[in-house]
This record gives sequence, C-alpha cells and structure tokens, in this order.
Amino acid sequence: MTINKYLIEYSINSLLRQKSKNTFIIIIFTFLIALITSIFFISNSIKYELNSTIDKLPDITIQKLHGGRIVDIDNSVIENIITIAGVQSTIGRVWGYYYFENAGVNFSIMGIDNFETQYTKSLEKVIDDSTKTDILDNNFMLVGSGVKKILNNNFFTNSFNFISNDGSFKKVKIGGVFKSDIELQSNDMILVSKELAYQILGVDKSKSTDIVVKVSNPKELNTIVNKIKLLYPNTRIITNDDLKVSYESIFDYKSGLFLTLFIISLFTFFIIIYDKTSGLSSSEKTEIGILKALGWKIDDILKEKFYEGFIISFISYILGISIAFIFVYFLHAPLLRDIFEGYSQLKTTFNLPFVIDFQILTLVFFITIPVYISATIIPSWKTATLDADEVIR
Amino acid sequence: MILTPEILAIFILNSLFLFFGIIALILSIKIYSKWDLNSTKSLQYKLEKNSYLTSTIIKFIFLIKLPLFLFFIFTLDKISNILPGAMCAAGVVDATPYGMYLFLVKIINLYLFGFWLILDKIDVENEKLPYSKLKFGFFIIIFFLFLSELILETTMFLSIDPTTMVSCCGALYSSTSASYISILFQIDPFMLVSLFYTNFVLLIIFYFYKNSYIYAILSMIFIIIAIISLIAVFGTYIYQLPTHHCPFCFLQKDYYYIGYLIYSTLFIGTFYGLAIPFFKNINYYKISIFFIIAYTLIVTIYPILFYLKNGVWL
Amino acid sequence: MIKLNNITKIYDINKNNSITAVKDINLHIKDGDLIILKGASGSGKSTILSLIAGLCKPTEGEVIVDEKGISKLPDHFLSLYRRENIGFVFQKYNLIPNLSVKDNIILPLIPDNPDEDILNTKLQEVMERFTISHKKDIIVRNLSGGEQQRVAICRSMINNPKIIIADEPTANLDEKLSLDFIDILKQLKENGKTIIIATHDPLFFNLDFASKTIDIKNGKIIS
Repeated sequence: MTINKYLIEYSINSLLRQKSKNTFIIIIFTFLIALITSIFFISNSIKYELNSTIDKLPDITIQKLHGGRIVDIDNSVIENIITIAGVQSTIGRVWGYYYFENAGVNFSIMGIDNFETQYTKSLEKVIDDSTKTDILDNNFMLVGSGVKKILNNNFFTNSFNFISNDGSFKKVKIGGVFKSDIELQSNDMILVSKELAYQILGVDKSKSTDIVVKVSNPKELNTIVNKIKLLYPNTRIITNDDLKVSYESIFDYKSGLFLTLFIISLFTFFIIIYDKTSGLSSSEKTEIGILKALGWKIDDILKEKFYEGFIISFISYILGISIAFIFVYFLHAPLLRDIFEGYSQLKTTFNLPFVIDFQILTLVFFITIPVYISATIIPSWKTATLDADEVIR
Repeated sequence: MILTPEILAIFILNSLFLFFGIIALILSIKIYSKWDLNSTKSLQYKLEKNSYLTSTIIKFIFLIKLPLFLFFIFTLDKISNILPGAMCAAGVVDATPYGMYLFLVKIINLYLFGFWLILDKIDVENEKLPYSKLKFGFFIIIFFLFLSELILETTMFLSIDPTTMVSCCGALYSSTSASYISILFQIDPFMLVSLFYTNFVLLIIFYFYKNSYIYAILSMIFIIIAIISLIAVFGTYIYQLPTHHCPFCFLQKDYYYIGYLIYSTLFIGTFYGLAIPFFKNINYYKISIFFIIAYTLIVTIYPILFYLKNGVWL
Repeated sequence: MIKLNNITKIYDINKNNSITAVKDINLHIKDGDLIILKGASGSGKSTILSLIAGLCKPTEGEVIVDEKGISKLPDHFLSLYRRENIGFVFQKYNLIPNLSVKDNIILPLIPDNPDEDILNTKLQEVMERFTISHKKDIIVRNLSGGEQQRVAICRSMINNPKIIIADEPTANLDEKLSLDFIDILKQLKENGKTIIIATHDPLFFNLDFASKTIDIKNGKIIS
C-alpha cells in the first residue's frame, strides 16, 4: 500500500472546499483531545511527584488499631522493634490534625525531637540550627507557607493560640516559615517540638501517634514486617510499597472516572461526525459522480475519504496534545488540577513536574483517532457507492 | 477488578469492533445466502455495494487490531506492576484461567484476518469475483472466533483480582513447575536447537525450489519449533540466565524491547509462508524468507555474543 | 466497436414508481464513427450514454465494447475500462471550481499514482493541444466559459481514450464557442476517435462529418 501523494493533495483540497464544517469538527475534536490529554498529564505528573515523595517516607509505619480506628501506640513497642535484626532506626512520631475553626481548615501538626534522626530527609534540609533551637527550646513553631497565609488572613501575624485538649489556650510564637521541595506535603504543616505537640494534640507522654521504622536492607522489608506482625498482631503495618500501589490505584480510579465521562462525550461526538459526514449536498454528490465517470473506483473514493478522515483526526490529535501540553506545563492547568488534589483544604501552589510520557500519547491516540475514523466508515461508503449516472443528467 | 485507563481504552475499541463487526456479520450472512453474480436484479446490485462496506469494516478492524495487539501486551506489562507477585506480562496472563487462551485466540485471529484481506484482494481483482461468496462465509466463521476473543478479553480483565498473589514467570516457566511447560525443558536443548536450524535450512532450500505446500508446512512447524526453542534455549541467552525462560520478560524496557522485534519477524515471516499455497503469489516467498532469516539472525546473535564474551555456553 | 443488444433500463424497480428510460434499444457503432443522438430531455439519450460508459447497468440486454461485454463487470474493472477508454465531456463542464487547471486535468490519473514525469508529459501534451498551457495554475473558476470548456476537454483526453462521450456539450455555450467546439470534434474524428454526442442543439443536426444521426423518443430509437 504505497502512499498516493496526488490523492493526499486532492483530499486536502477537498477538505478546504468545506472549510466551515471541517473547522468546526477540528475545533471540537481538538478540545476533547486536549481535555483528556490534560487530565492524563496532570494525573501522571502528580503521580510522579507523589512517588518521589513516597521514596522519602518511612519504610514501615506501624499504627495501633482499636475498633478499626487508629489509637495512640505505647512507646514500649519502640524498644522491642529496635531489637529486630535489620532494623536501622525506630522513632515514635507525634502528629495529628488541628482544626482551625475560623478558616475552616485543618493544619497538620508534627512534633520533632532533637535526638531523633528526622525521618524525612527533606525536613532535615529545611531546618537549620537557629530555627531548631527556637522550636525545640523555646517552643516556637515553624509553619508551612500555606499555613502562614491563612494565619495572616486571620490576623495571627506573630503567634497563634491553640486550644489544647483540656480547653486551655496555648500561645505559640511563629519562629519561621519553611518551604520544602515537596510542597504537597508541607504546605499545611506546622512543626513544633515534640513536647508541644504532646500538649496541643493531647497525646499521653508514654505513647506516640505511630511508629516509623527504617530498615537497612530494603530486600528484608517483608521479613521484618512479618516479624513485627507476629509480635504485635493488632497493629496495622503500612510499607512504602503499599503506599505506592494504593496511590497508583487512586490515580487510575480518578483517571478512569474521567475516561468514562470522556467515553460519553466521545459517543456523542461519534454521532455528530456521522451526521455531519452523512448529509451530502448536491455539489458533493456531483463531485463524486464526476470522479466515478472519470474512472475512479469505489475503492479509490473510499481511500480518499479515509485520507480525509485521517488528516482531520490527526491534525486534531497533534493540536490537542500540544494544547494540553502548554496548558498543563506552562499554564499549570488551572481548574483541572483541583480535581486531583483536594485532600486538604489548602490549595497547593507547586508546579507540576515535567514528565513526557509516550504511553499517554499512545493511549490518547488509540481512543481518539480510530473512533473518528470509524464514525466516517458508513458515510464514506454511502458516498462512494453513489450511482454516478445521475451526474450526467 | 482492575480498571486502568489502558484497559478502558481497549474496552472502547472492543465495543467499536463489536458494533461494526455485527454489521459486517449481518451483511455477510445476506451476501453469502443470496449472492448471484449473473443476476441483474437490484438485490444483487445492493449486495455488491454491501460487500464494499463489509470489506471496509474488516480492513478497519484489522488495521487497528495490529497495533492494538502490541498495545495489549504493553498493557499486560503495565498491570504486572500492580498485581502482587507479577514481574512481567506472564504473571498477568496466568492470573486468570482465560489469559493463555485469550493470547492464542488473538494470534490466531490476526492470522485469519490477514488471510481474509488477501482473499479479498484477489477476489476483487478477478472479473468473475470468484471468491465473494466464499470470503463472506469465511468471515462468518472468523466473526465467531473474534467474538470469543472479545468475550475472553472482557472477562479476563474484569476478573483479575489485584489482591490475589500470582506466580512470577520464574515459577511458571521453570523445569520444576507442574505444568506442561516443564516437559519442554526435559528435552535436550541441543536437540531443540538442531531441530530449529534444520527447519530453517529446509525453509531456505524450499525457498529455492518454490514448492509452496512443503514451504507452508515447514512454516507452520517453524512457528512451533521457534517458540519452543525460544522459551527453552534462546531466551536464556537474552537473559543471560540459564533458568530464566519467560517468553514475556524480554518485551520489557530492560531488554530494549527486543521481544517485539522477535515476535513480529516470526509472525510476519510465517504468515506469508502459510499464505503461499492459498494465494499463489511469488512475492510472498521473498517477504517470508526475509523475515524468517531476520528472526533467526536475531535469535542466533544472542548466544553467539554470550559465547564470545564468556567463552562458555549456558 | 460498440454494440447495444436489446437494452432495456428501468429505474427504481422496487418502489411503486418505475421509469423505463430506454426499451429494447439496439445500436451498432463502428470505430471512428461520430454519432449524434437527437431527442428532447428525458428521451433516454443520456441513459444510452451512461450505458455505453458503464455508469449504469442495463436491466435487460448487454453492452459489448470491442467484443467484450461490460455490463456485468464489477466496479474495479468497469472503472478501469472507463479510465482507459472513455473521455467525458459534460454539459456543465463539471470541473472542480477551486482546483487549478492542472489539478482538474489530472483527475483521471490520480488513482494510478503515476510517476511525476509520466504525469507531466501527458499533461503538457494535452494542454498544448488545446492551447490552455498558459493558464496551467489558474483556478478554474476564474476562467472564461470557453477556457473552461477546453479544460474539460483536456481532462477527457488526458488518457487518450478511444471513445469520447459528450452530453449536451454546447448547452452553456454561445454560438461562437459552440462552433469552436464542433471544430475540435472534427479534429478528434480525424484522429480516429469514436464520438457519441447527445444533444438537441440544431447546430449538430447537419454536420457533414457526422456518421449517423439517431432520433430517440420515449426511450426508443425512431429512425
């Protein structure tokens, strides 16, 4: 099947002969493609960002469950876990959410301790010595940029009054604002000393919110997890991998949701295309009649119609993915992003990392161009099998 | 149940295929029962027009099916990341009882569609349209195989359970597994390799003699021997590991996606080889032998490189 | 040599109205003849042209061209036959208005995907013959009536067909252009082409180089 360049030229001219109809089709199709591609790009980038986050998270997280809910875990567990072979370090974390009623948002409160190695390397980078002293010794707090904004909006410029568990007010001065490289994580976070965290969150000093474990050899992860399970059967153990898989599933779910909506619009589009390419004006009919009279076979006309369909859908495809590209990576996808984020009320302002994924481009190709071409099959056939002798009349 | 965007894409296209396939089926049945080239009645005229629609639909389906098959394999690979225990497509195929059958049916269907298209071409180029009735009857049969492929595919994807552990190809394709595959590994590898090259040489000989029936039979045997020797012997040289026999792992990035090249050359070469006695086209010999030589070269290079590097055979 | 044997063509047989366009036509056209089909519109002369060109199939009877029956040929062969043997000149020129002269003329050649050189040779030849090469790249809709007529003729001649079929070719031309056209016809006849013209233009009725004039009325041959 060699490519007939004269036929291509003819197809292009034929398309130009019906500028308005074809422009209309290209615009709609491009829009649809841009939309679905943007969704995929965004989801992919967020996934990528989260995956890089997860790598920096603890290898194992242990939570105690009681009646299906997370309750504080006893600190004695920490001593027992450290003795398991292969465990590099174990820390009890104190963290939780604080609901700030005026703004209707939740802050994440994280307690840190000077003697414990920070579990997240990025937090290590963020805290320098002077700030550390402020936090640990003087009970200042370090807030994420999103938190700072909200506090400012509510007139808490230098300090904030937490309502502790027992109802009393606890005034905490703001020691600084931090920006870590993983904005998703840190934007709504407040760092305080562990002691302060205990107070604000009302956690008993002999307990922790959960326990994180770092293993020296990742291949031994599963063995260690099993050992911990044997020791403490009523705990929930979450590993790095579990998180990865569950994120992947959520993203696939959300993308899948959109794909479903997309399918519906695709179906509607199919009907539109079918209709548009079906109705032939008398000049179009004459044209086909002429071609047949000049010796074009039905197959030739079908081929020509196929070229037309392919040119239109391909142009829309290229335009669509280019627009999606610019929209997501240069304009940072306003509106659409919010569909994927939203685990906290605070909108993140991070930039979507640039991830070129040919898999997405292939995927979009398969769900768009064949659908368009299939919509043109029956109309093209009807055209090609028109009786030519009417032209002579 | 797993529902990734790739699987949804496959479902979309499958529905499209089903819709148009049914149209083609109905038309084929009409044509098959009422075709009469000598009639000048308007019914015959309509049937001739309809035959164009049917051919167009079938061409469309085949055109998309080919790259879709590669996309399918790629999707299986991607899912293997989510299924616990699966390291490559082999695990996914094994996750349900339908996997292997689906694979076989897909490949058979590709061959059948390909043959149909060739049949269509020579039919249309003959004044008497001699094969028209035949080809639509043929399509009716193909359609039912195609339908079973669609059903198998849908069932398979819907029944994959992301919480159940599946075997990795290391377990499936080892000499200790309980499946029929382990029998393959009992055969002396030296004998397998000899059979393979003998078959290859015979193909070359009969390429020059141009005996179409023997060449086709040799092609058919070649498919089987090639795949067996690939799994049992040549694969191990690609992986440089005597126990790694998986036929899917070398489709992955780690091996430069060589698997796609290996399988395409094998299938194209044998497809044209099988087609020769039916379609009597001299060019098919050339195409067939070209791809078969390509396949053999690729598959031979790995062991040779390994030997040159390491001085021993596996 | 063109033979129409007992040709009947009925349109729309299955609906309640059916039109018998031609009935029991027997026609014999020798190579190199110039035949005028004379008759009012609706008389069936256009149908006869369609039948000879293989654009429609007879309900009864057979069309034989050069000893070969073309009525039962499938589309693939019929189109090939038309491409190689028939040159059409339509009433309304039927050019594609937004294409250039050159693009219109090469239309019959496109499906074959010919070599660039062969295409250009044929194109040059035919454009020079009908003196339109100087307008090669002009969009057809900007040409005068006479020029468009010449483009249409080029198009019909590019494959050097044996048979020229013209349906009311002068209906849209003034007298001068009509006479020019008749001149061209004369040339073509001298070149050995078989020409069949359906017309009710009186200019054609007393041509000295016409082989035969056939009257058609209500689908039947009168004279």
